[in-house]
Amino acid sequence: MSAAHHLPALAIVVPLVIAYLMPLFDRWRRGWCTPAALAALGFSFAASLVMAWQVMTHGPFSYQMGNWPPPWGIELYIDYLAVFTALTMTGVSLIVLVYGSRDLLHELKPHLLGWYYTLYLLLIASMVGMALTNDIFNLFVFVEICAIAACGIISIKESRECLEAAFKYLVLSALGSGCLLLAIALLYMVTGHLNFTFIAQALPEAMRLYPNNILAALALLLVGMGVKSALFPLHVWLPDAHSSAPSPSSAVLSGLVIKIYAVALLRILYQVFPDSIFEVTPVLTILLVMSSLAIIVGSMFAVVQEDIKKMLAYSSIAQIGYVFLGFSLMEISALTGGILHMFNHAMMKAMLFLAAGAFIYGTGVRRLSDLKGIGLTMPVPAAAFTIGALAMVGIPLTNGFISKWFLVLGALRGGQTFFAVVILISSLLNGFYYLPIIVNAYFGEPQGAVAEPKRLPRLMQAPLVILGFGCLLFGIFPSLIIGLASRAGQALLGM
Amino acid sequence: MEDLIVRYVSRIVVPFVQLFGLYVVFHGHLSPGGGFSGGAIIGASMILYALSFNLAAGTKKVSHDLSLILESSGGLIYAGVGLAAIFLGANFLGNKVAGIPLGTPGNLFSSGTIMIITLGVGIKVASTMITLFYSLIEGEQKTDEHC
Amino acid sequence: MNIAEILLRLHQNSYYFFAIILFVIGFHTMLTHNNLIKKVIGMNIMDTAIFLFFVSIGYIRGGRAPILEPGADHLYVNPLPSALILTGIVVAVSITAYALSLIVKLYQHYGTIDAEEIIRLRGGETS
Repeated sequence: MSAAHHLPALAIVVPLVIAYLMPLFDRWRRGWCTPAALAALGFSFAASLVMAWQVMTHGPFSYQMGNWPPPWGIELYIDYLAVFTALTMTGVSLIVLVYGSRDLLHELKPHLLGWYYTLYLLLIASMVGMALTNDIFNLFVFVEICAIAACGIISIKESRECLEAAFKYLVLSALGSGCLLLAIALLYMVTGHLNFTFIAQALPEAMRLYPNNILAALALLLVGMGVKSALFPLHVWLPDAHSSAPSPSSAVLSGLVIKIYAVALLRILYQVFPDSIFEVTPVLTILLVMSSLAIIVGSMFAVVQEDIKKMLAYSSIAQIGYVFLGFSLMEISALTGGILHMFNHAMMKAMLFLAAGAFIYGTGVRRLSDLKGIGLTMPVPAAAFTIGALAMVGIPLTNGFISKWFLVLGALRGGQTFFAVVILISSLLNGFYYLPIIVNAYFGEPQGAVAEPKRLPRLMQAPLVILGFGCLLFGIFPSLIIGLASRAGQALLGM
Repeated sequence: MEDLIVRYVSRIVVPFVQLFGLYVVFHGHLSPGGGFSGGAIIGASMILYALSFNLAAGTKKVSHDLSLILESSGGLIYAGVGLAAIFLGANFLGNKVAGIPLGTPGNLFSSGTIMIITLGVGIKVASTMITLFYSLIEGEQKTDEHC
Repeated sequence: MNIAEILLRLHQNSYYFFAIILFVIGFHTMLTHNNLIKKVIGMNIMDTAIFLFFVSIGYIRGGRAPILEPGADHLYVNPLPSALILTGIVVAVSITAYALSLIVKLYQHYGTIDAEEIIRLRGGETS
């Protein structure tokens, strides 16, 4: 077989290898750090693209680590959902890194840049691993790498807020990991397998013999993944962590990291647990209630925020609610919408955080009410912010509209009109806090630092332009990506 | 800390601890133990040395640059072994299938690539332990200066 | 089910029982104590409880350590949970080290390791 056969492993290993090399580069060849990091992520992205093409043409395939067939070896299973997630993760993180390579120069001490790249590459590699793996313990290992790296890229700034936010995040995500590991122990106890496929085969029988174990495992899994993906009542760590981190970190954390746990939960719920679990426990109803609350309460919290990054962080809580809502409606359109929203929100939120970072870079202003007239003095980031905000509200021709459309469609088709109303109310609330900023930005009178911002480097403008263009592209030609998302949804529902 | 007894005892004990750590690392594929346990033992021996003398003496034996290189190379050995299997035509981390001779079970040089991987993990863990200890101590010293 | 039966069951599953008790102790310590070091200790107790639980899954009464000797036919315990838990221990060690270094830094900035105190200091700073 050709090199293309090994792409699943290489997509994870190449960023890892570069991450290990990065401290050496940082010590002796500092100029190599940024190109190496970009090359590693570029390779991962290209590998994901090729894998997506392979999956679309030949269907899902699997890769066995060390040629050990499952259940003995670790298996990577590359299906529609996996490539979709891997593409989202690598693509968005690559664009964010281009921005970060410039922005971080002023946010971090220079000797920390190489270490930042180490953490960043570890984070992305672990997320790609989580997307591709078909082994529950391997998933746990990637979850842990991801947790430590995510805390690391927050605390690297070493300001008081960052340290405190990182500690809070670390404690809560350690708690989540603990719950996850206990859930894995319970599942292993009753099935004797760690491979998703084999657990799924053994579970119906185990369900009859040891129902309590499986229910406990399910509950622990929900809590563990819920904490990590900031589902509503478990979101307390998110606003501080995402608003105090350096802007590229915020973009990745809000756009990608919380989503990958949602995907992992989705995969385990639909592919591992038997369908009968949904009849025994109201797990989907619980998820629906929690996500609706997240959508409404997150938006309401966002309305009252003064700090631009804090507002975006609260908005993330609402948006992860959409993703979970799509996942738990048990309807093909809604599931497609949820998967699509994962991708769309990753783009929008990354763009919004980067635009906010550009405002802070240019003017040093974080208060929303002080950003009057920023659209006249910093046109590119303001335009990006506007597109992102419109996409958040769900205006047609932006990608946010497409995913919300699918979600509402799914809710109506599933006969759950209530959730369609929730989505509409939340869109209204989104408009409530995003539109005044835009109006302020273009029709206000620039004052103080806003009137004479620092010039934004090209390398920081280009990612904003690309992401803004992407938001419009996938809003006007959604068919580019819907095919993959709906195939992923169909595969999960067993259609 | 200027305790004569502690210094002399640690000076005698450290080589044996390190020897034992190496034994655990190299017999990882034959008996309980392996990279993590052995690496932790070696790392602990260096921590003991630095504790009973002082940090400067410790950094003299294992400098920051050296532990940096060791830390990176530990991970790179692991990944390199995995990638080597790909070049030999097997999947990532392939062992016997990649055509690597396995040797007789029970011998020291057996089990193909597992011993190299264990060695890599041992290096990584030992140097990480040392680095962690150094950075915590240095952070502490900075705190003292602040107060 | 009478008392004797319950006690017998507890005895048979004593590893699981105590692992869960430890888990709850750790969980409680982690969430309720204000002292950051105590939070980390609670985290470690919780992790240890899970490790105990996981390892005891693979234990077989009377089993030996799974080292194959040529010709001998023994009852072996399941090595897989132990191997997995080794990974878990590595992760717990690194998280602990990271948390402790964060605490050192927090102490540098705030001069205290009490969570309430830190929140109070921060509140005074922003308003």
